[in-house]
This record gives sequence, C-alpha cells and structure tokens, in this order.
Amino acid sequence: MDDPRRTAADLGTDHCRRPERETVAHPTNQPVNNQAAPSIDGGGPRPSRGAASKLLRAGVLAAALLAACGRPARERASGDTKPPSPSGLVASNGRAVATDGQWVRPTGDYAGTRFSGLDQINASNVRGLRLAWTFSTGVLRGQEAAPLYVDGTIYVVTPFPNLLYAIGLDGTLKWTYRPQPMTAAQGVACCDVVNRGVVYDAGRLFYNTLDAQTVAVDAATGREVWRARVGDINIGETVTMAPLVVRGKVIVGNSGGEMGVRGWLTALDEATGKVAWRAYATGPDADVLIGPGFHPFYPQDRGRDLGVKTWPGDAWKIGGGTAWGFLTYDPELNLLFAGVANPGPWNAEARPGDNKWTAGVFARNPDDGQAAWYYQYNPHDLWDYDGINENVVVDLTLGGRARKTLLHPDRNGYLYVMDRTSGEVISATPFVHLNSTLGVDLRTGRPTENQALHPSTGKVVRGICPAAPGAKDWQPSSWSPRTQLLYIPHQNLCMDYEGVEANYIAGTPYVGANVKMFAGPGGYRGLFTAWDPVKRRPAWQLTERFPVWSGALATAGDVVFYGTMDGFFKAVDARTGRLLWQFKTGSGIISQPTTFRGPDGRQYVAVLDGVGGWSGAIVAAGLDARDSSSALGMINAMKDLPQYTTKGGSLYVFALP
Amino acid sequence: MTRPIRVLALALSTAVLATTSACKRETREFRGYPPSANPGSVVQDVPLAPGPRQPEVTARSPYEHNAYAVSEGKRLFGWYNCSGCHSHGGGGMGPPLMDDEWIYGSQPENIFETIAEGRPNGMPAFGGRIGNDDIWKLVAYVRSLSALDVPQDVRGGRDDHMQYKQPEQEENPTRPKRSTLPPAATQP
Amino acid sequence: MTLPLRARRWAAAAALLPLAACDQRVQSALDPAGPQAERIRRLMVMSIWIAAPIAVAVTAAVVWAALRGRDSAHVPETPRADRRMAATVAGLVAATVVVLFVWMISDFSAIRSLSKLDGRPLAVTLVGHQWWWEVQYHDSVASHQLTTANEIHIPVGRPVLVTLESRDVIHSFWVPRLHGKRDLIPGYTNRIWLRADKPGAFRGQCAEFCGQQHANMALWVIAEPQARFDAWYRAQLQPAAAPADSTRIAGQKAFLGNSCVMCHTIRGTPTGGRNGPDLTHLGGRRTLAAGTLPNTPGHLGGWVVDPQGIKPGTTMPPNNLRPDELRALIAYLEGLK
Repeated sequence: MDDPRRTAADLGTDHCRRPERETVAHPTNQPVNNQAAPSIDGGGPRPSRGAASKLLRAGVLAAALLAACGRPARERASGDTKPPSPSGLVASNGRAVATDGQWVRPTGDYAGTRFSGLDQINASNVRGLRLAWTFSTGVLRGQEAAPLYVDGTIYVVTPFPNLLYAIGLDGTLKWTYRPQPMTAAQGVACCDVVNRGVVYDAGRLFYNTLDAQTVAVDAATGREVWRARVGDINIGETVTMAPLVVRGKVIVGNSGGEMGVRGWLTALDEATGKVAWRAYATGPDADVLIGPGFHPFYPQDRGRDLGVKTWPGDAWKIGGGTAWGFLTYDPELNLLFAGVANPGPWNAEARPGDNKWTAGVFARNPDDGQAAWYYQYNPHDLWDYDGINENVVVDLTLGGRARKTLLHPDRNGYLYVMDRTSGEVISATPFVHLNSTLGVDLRTGRPTENQALHPSTGKVVRGICPAAPGAKDWQPSSWSPRTQLLYIPHQNLCMDYEGVEANYIAGTPYVGANVKMFAGPGGYRGLFTAWDPVKRRPAWQLTERFPVWSGALATAGDVVFYGTMDGFFKAVDARTGRLLWQFKTGSGIISQPTTFRGPDGRQYVAVLDGVGGWSGAIVAAGLDARDSSSALGMINAMKDLPQYTTKGGSLYVFALP
Repeated sequence: MTRPIRVLALALSTAVLATTSACKRETREFRGYPPSANPGSVVQDVPLAPGPRQPEVTARSPYEHNAYAVSEGKRLFGWYNCSGCHSHGGGGMGPPLMDDEWIYGSQPENIFETIAEGRPNGMPAFGGRIGNDDIWKLVAYVRSLSALDVPQDVRGGRDDHMQYKQPEQEENPTRPKRSTLPPAATQP
Repeated sequence: MTLPLRARRWAAAAALLPLAACDQRVQSALDPAGPQAERIRRLMVMSIWIAAPIAVAVTAAVVWAALRGRDSAHVPETPRADRRMAATVAGLVAATVVVLFVWMISDFSAIRSLSKLDGRPLAVTLVGHQWWWEVQYHDSVASHQLTTANEIHIPVGRPVLVTLESRDVIHSFWVPRLHGKRDLIPGYTNRIWLRADKPGAFRGQCAEFCGQQHANMALWVIAEPQARFDAWYRAQLQPAAAPADSTRIAGQKAFLGNSCVMCHTIRGTPTGGRNGPDLTHLGGRRTLAAGTLPNTPGHLGGWVVDPQGIKPGTTMPPNNLRPDELRALIAYLEGLK
C-alpha cells in the first residue's frame, strides 16, 4: 500500500476534496506536484512522508471525514456500517472543516455535489453576512464561471476574451492571464460568449477559451504552461465548459450543437496538453470509443455502429451531441459521467431515427475514454432537450436497498435517479410542469412522446412545456448530504414552436426552428426546488420572477446560496427554503457561487454578477425585444429583464463581520 | 342621354384611362447585376477622414425601391442562415438589425461590405459564397428591417410563419445612429 | 350529306390536332400504368359512355325543338296530352336521378378503391419546393433513408405510399399514368397511394399554379423491377465517390468554394444545404432543373452559369465561374453517378 492513490481509495475517502487530488490527479507519486498541491490542513505544502505514516494520517482523516460528510458510499467502501448521521457535520471537528476549505473546481468535488462542509456561516448567523470586497472583471458579458479558491488565492475566468485573474484574499490582483482568443469566435457562440470555469490541479489551472483552445496556466505566476487547439471555429466549434481534471487527464468537450458540429469529449494529457483520446458522440463505434466493455442497460442501445445507423445519410457528421456541461466522476468505479447534448438541427424532420448517442449520458473510463454504458434521455430529441445537465454522484437507500446512483434533473423535466453502475433508470419523476412527454417507461427507459405536440416543418405547435432550455438548463444543482435534498435552480418556461427548413452551411447556425418562449403555468419564470429523490417530490420550492440561471451552493451550515437574474444573491434555509439573507448586486447573477475558508480561519462566500447567457442575452448583447424570436425565442420570455438589470461583471466576496 | 352628358362621360372616361398610364409596373430583374459587379463608390465606415472635409457620399442600393428584390432578400436572409444569428431582426448570436444602431455603418455599401468581407467580432465573410446581386438584395432587406430609406410599399408584409414580430411595413422609419460600440469594446 | 374528299381530309386532320399535344405517351391519363390510373380511366370511359348518348340526345332534342318552331309546337291542351307530358317529365327526372346515382356510386367506389392499396408500401415523402421536388425514402433503419430530387424510382408491382408536403406554396402532384392529382400543402400532410404495374418512365407535372416557373416543375416516376430498384437504391445510399482525376478534383474544389454550398448537398463532402436539390448522384438523373433540361454536360454548364436565362425567377443564382472552373465543375457533377 505504498501508492497513496490506493491508500486513499481503499479507505473510501474518495469524495472529500483533499484526498481526491491525492487519489486521482497523479497516478505516480510526484513529490514536486505534491509540494505544489494545497495541503489538507489549510495552507502549507504537504510534508513528504513515508507510506506508513501516510496511511496512518489518511486513516485518521478518513474517520474525521466520515463523520463530516456522512456519505453512505464512503461508509460502505470503508466497511463502516454506521448509518450516515445528518448531524455528523454539526459535530465535525476543525480538521474536517479544514479539508473543505478550498474550492478547486467548479463542481466542488468530483461527485458534483457543490456541497461545502464549512459551517461557520449557518442558518442562524447568515443574516449578518457582509460584503468583504468586490473586484471588477472588466468584461460585461454573461459571467457563468465559479470563483475558485486555492491557497489564499481566488481564481476567476471571464467570458470572452477569457481573461484569468488571480486575486488575493484581500481583493488585490496578483496576476492576469490573457489567452487572446480569436475575436471571430464570438460569431459562432450560440448563447452568449460565456465560460463555465477554471479547474485547479497540482499547481496549475486548466480552462478553455471560446475559440476552442485548452490552456494550462501556472497557478503561482500566471505563466502559460501549454496550450492546445481542440476545435475549429470555422465549423462552428467553441468550448465554453469547465474541464474535469482526473487521473492525469484534462477532459474537455465542445459546444456548437446549434452550429451543426459533431460533438466530442477529449482527454488531454495533463502534463503536455497532447490528446490522449477523443470520443465522438456520433459515428461508428470506433469513433465513439465503444468497445467490448460497453454494456448499456437497455436493449435499444445495443448493436453495432448505432451512431451511424440511427441517422439518415451523413447527418451524423453534423449531428451535434456536444459535451458542454459539467462532468462528474466516481473514483470507486473509475467512471466519469458525461452528458451529451441535443442532436442537430432542432428540426427533427431532418434527422429521422433515434440519433444516437445524443441527448443522453455516457459513463466512460477516464483513462482510455472507453464507454461503460449509455442511456438516452431523449431519443430523437424534438425540443432541444440537451442531456448535458450534471449527473450528481450520490448514494441513496431506495426501497431498503443501498444504491449507487446518479441524480440528473434533465431538460425534459424529469428528475432521473439512475444506477451509476449500470445505467438503469430507477425513477424518473417530473419536477416541473410538462406536457411534451407523458412519462418515462421504466421498462424500456424511453419517454412517451405526446403525439398531440409532434412538430413538423411549417406547422406551429403551441404551448410546449418545458421550452427549449428545458425545465433546467446548464445551471448546476447542489446536493446536501445533511438534508438529503438536491437543490435545483431552474426555470418554468413553455414555448410555441415552428419547424422550418434547416440548411446546413458550415460555420453558420443549423437550427431550423422558430421559437417563442413564455412563462409556464403560474406566470413565474424561475424556480428553486429542493428535491427529495427518495420520496420523489419537492421538499420545498421557491418561485422567482426570472429563470434562476445561477448555480446552487449548499453548505454544512444548512444554508443554500443562489443568485437571481434581477441581481439578488440569496441565502435560504436548506430545510425550509425560508429566505435568510439577500444582497443586491450590480447586475443579474448567472454564475456559480462558491465558498471557502481563508488562512484567517474565516469562511467566505464568493459569486460573480454579470447577467447574460442564453436567458440574459437581451441585456448582455442588447437584443431587440420587438422580434420575439430573438435569441432562439428566449427573448419573448425575457422582455422585461432590461427594466431590472444592466450589464455587469464583478466578483463579490462575502464574510461574516 | 343628352349630348352634354355624353360628352362629359366621354371626357371622364378618357381621363380615367389616361391616369392608368401612370401605373408603372415594377420590373423583376431576374438576371440583375452581373455577378462580378462590385460596389461602386467608397463609403467611409467612420465619420473621420484626413484632409479638408469632403462631401458625404450617400450610396443607394440598386434594389431599395424594388419590392420583389426586397422580398427575395428576405427569402435569402433565411436561406443563407442570416436569421440563425440575427433572428428576424432582433438578434441573438449577432446584433439586432431592426434597431437604429449601426456598428459598422448603415449605408448600403457599408452593409454590402459587412456581408461580403465580414467583421472582426464574429460576422463571417460571405463574399464568394453569395453572389453580389444576392448581397444587394440582402442589403435592401436588411435596411427595410428598420425602415431605413426603403419605402413602405416596398417593405415586406406579414410573414407566412409563426408571428414573431410586426411586419416591416409597419415599422416606423428610423434615423441611423452611428459609431455604436462594437461588442469587443465592452471588454478590457 | 357528302363533303368533298379534300374537305373530309382537312376535317380529320383538324380533329386529330389536339392529340398532337400527346406527343409521347409518357403523360397520358388514357394510357394507365397502374391500378388507380386504370380505375380512373374506366370511370372516365364509363362516364363518356353514359354522358355522350345523353349529350347527343339532349342536343338532338334542342335542335329538333329549335327547327320545329313555335307554331308547330302548339299542342292542344287536352287532359291526355297533359298526362303524357307529366309522364315524360317524370320519366326523364327519374332517369336523371338514376344516372346520377349510378355515377355517384361508381365515383364513390372508385375513390374507395383509389384511397388505399393492399400490401406493405414503400414509404416516400415528396416535398414541393419552388420549383422542384424533394424525394425522401423512408426505412425503419434511419441510415437506410434516402433523399434525392425530381425523380421517384419505384419497384414495379409494389404499392407506394407518397406523403405530400410543401415548403412554400401549394403545389400539386400529378403523374397521369399512375394516378390523379393531389395537392402538396404547406403545413399540412397529404397522402397518395401509387402502384406501377409495368416498368417505364412516367412523367409528372405540378398541377397547381405555383408561381413563375410552375410550367417547368416536372418530375419523373421510374418504375423498375424490384431487383433493379434495389440495386439503384443501394447505389443511391452510397455517398458520392471521391473525385479521382485532377479535373474532377478541381471541380469539387469549385463546388466547395462557390455559392453551390449555400444550398446544395453532396453527401461525402462537408455540405448540407437543403434549399436546393441533393446533388449526391446528379449524374444519374435524366433531367436538370426539375424536368426543364436534359441532363447533358452542355445543358448543365448553361444552367450553372445562367439559370435565370433558362428558368427566369428560379431560386438558383447565376455563377460567374472561370471557364476552366466551369468545365471542371461540370465534369465533377456529371461524374456523380
């Protein structure tokens, strides 16, 4: 047991942040990198130790963490049969909290829970939260990124031109990195020129630029380490997602499902930026990295070259299936879970067939990219229901049985609880008003289409719910192991839809639909839902005027943070949804809030304002609301946004006084 | 019928017939401009030029008074995926075209240049892919979106599609505003 | 009444004149090639057999009445004459009702038998565009679906279910040797069943005025034995072969570098335009521009350079290509068999 990776994994501490880095980032023990990596106990470099003391240390830690996080997976993995105690975190000791002090990737942990074990800010004192300082990014487009915190420095990446700032905990700028992406890339970015964040690993920061390059930057100096071109804007490819760094690979997916690109997920070597593997979402099995180890749960996903057979002619070559959402990872199964976006064009008549492998989720081995299983949320997607929404790795007890599950709130309006070992759908429950489907058949895994709303070219279909951005778009949800609830920021939009001829011209949009969106039943456009995946119903639900386009953040203080497009940063009670605190920011919020503990021992909460994205394009790009088909029809639902907010782009850092 | 009345009737009908000769039927130029035709005069993209002030060049699209050409421009606006970025004038990935803000100039030849040669913040260069005659039709349609110099009876009517905006015919004529900040100017 | 021989000859020639329009028997409803067209022909023949004697009789009666004059028509009004008149009128009314009823029944039965054919159909969608036809073949395996244009190949003897749609205005699909007309309506789906019982090429024509080039919107239905159809279908499913010689390579470059890519698709190249016909296997088609021109290199060159001179108002724009580019492009396109 001289391999620290094995040690940590065997002890089952895989979900907690610090051991994760140890677990997966470096297959071999590299002292230099370990020195550079932030330490568990809150700051200094980790001293080099022998295997035995490491094991001992990890054991102590694991015990503390078990109490702290209370995740069943860990318990089972470590052989501890003690049931998870919701109060575990309250009783957590200082060390356990310290492990949660950093925020090294947008999803928080590999599981994608966005849960912080910090509880200094809690339900009883959050009303005293004060603004510590702000920092203007100088970029006035939609800010969707998550501020990271590593070793006393906050890292923020902006929308195009994708500046990377390193900011001290006192708000002073340490360095700026300018990748200078091609300006023309703005012309092929479908829904604002956003960027969803940067990832820290082993002393380096990794992120993607709009013009489809991945860069690695030295975290201490801001110097570029390597840069890799992964896509081509001339065929409409951009990259907006936050990469996942796992087991020495930087995993990146493209955007451009509205431009007729062919979707892919690519792993770059963490050290050099060389392509390790690329898995396309369409085409022959060899391109999709489907091999003998591929065992999908449902029979319709078995067969040779379904990525070709389920498309007419050459349509798979321009069929979308991009990967622009957040990736999650389960170290125990060594599987990463990558949602696949919508098939292109929107007008489904151009692509009869099931259009594999789009609008679904792949479980892949991050080492070679080989697919383990796949499930298609929306076969032959009709309504731009991307499958890219996060798959949160959570272990649940369902029907008395412990299950390794994924929680996936899909754009089609169903909250999927899936078995992450096999791809079986355990349950699929609507979490918003919907009529585009009539339920998910758990026997076949297929949703039942509402034939009354079937679209065709030249026909206007009215009142489809949810609308094209789905019941929930990119905005990531958060899981609290304490409350066992999934906090989902999402929207309540419906649409009218008319199919029009989709004409593919490389590098131009390939959509083929006229869309007009509007608020769904109830008249509100935004929802913030605390979902109980076991009882399959919301524990509580908040409504908002505008779509809740920001991510959610749950903490051990039983506070959940999210932002609204009219510029309120809110803290609500994790158990009741009661509004505990809010702060009016300069512009609307569509970013991912994060929290961390500084070297001074204080807990901070950070968020970016700067409205934009698909829903905020009316403000960020100054669209004309007289044309209600603007921004793919989103504008019709957002006509009044300019009355509530203007452009922005600042970092806000909050702390208790 | 008495004689004076008969004379009057004859005179009236002659007059009515005479007025019909004023009805000029719009011609449809199928072959249009030879595809090699380039924009003629030079139109500045900026209001600043060295040397003594020059008389402002006002260019005119060949098609701004031709309803058929404007309607063809509207068809091509959809066919060539202009609507993919600019929607039906309200914008999306690209800036809106129905408002009065013109980042790269509102003169027909500015717009011709924009379409043919592209612009640095995302507008692709369509020259060589769209014939010049078709670009001129697009120019006429783009200007009709904000009722810029295009007469009302030439601008498009109600669409055959989902109703997403009022027809161009009902837009109020605008005065173009120049030198709006390009998207890149909102960034450091 | 005898006419001079000369006059009789002229009369006969004049009577034949309208038939000159049916130069080839490719588009004649009188020469059915399928069960529905045959049913329609029978209905027509029956109608003529019923209607012609009636028309002759009515005409004769009118002529007789006109020649007889008013005075001689005066019949003394006796009860007997009244009864006879009433009986005559009643008899004629009854005969009319019976004839109309027979007609109606045969019409209904014709419609019923036309509306559906037995057997598992070949599913084809025909989409009307100004001014050409898009043809989509359906298959339960998505990758076996096929899109082509202006030519519908069908196997002899197998029913074909044609779904009719339009992308712009109302068109009408009419292949007289196979069936009657049916409209293609934007935003609405129509269906028509066809079956060709003998091999051959049957011309069809848009039968609803659809704009400037309505007259030049034709298509061909080509019925082949199943084996030949299958071979054709397999060949069509293949993407266009990569050009082998330098001329064709230059031609492909010209295709990809000009306005062609804005509207056309050639499978196997990075094109995907749907505004114009799919050109993947253009070289194998009989005609260009929806039956307007025979498919020869010369016509193709003329069409590419000056479509507005050939088919004014067509949506194909003129292309100002260099002579060598044009020659290469023609060689490339004609080589797409």
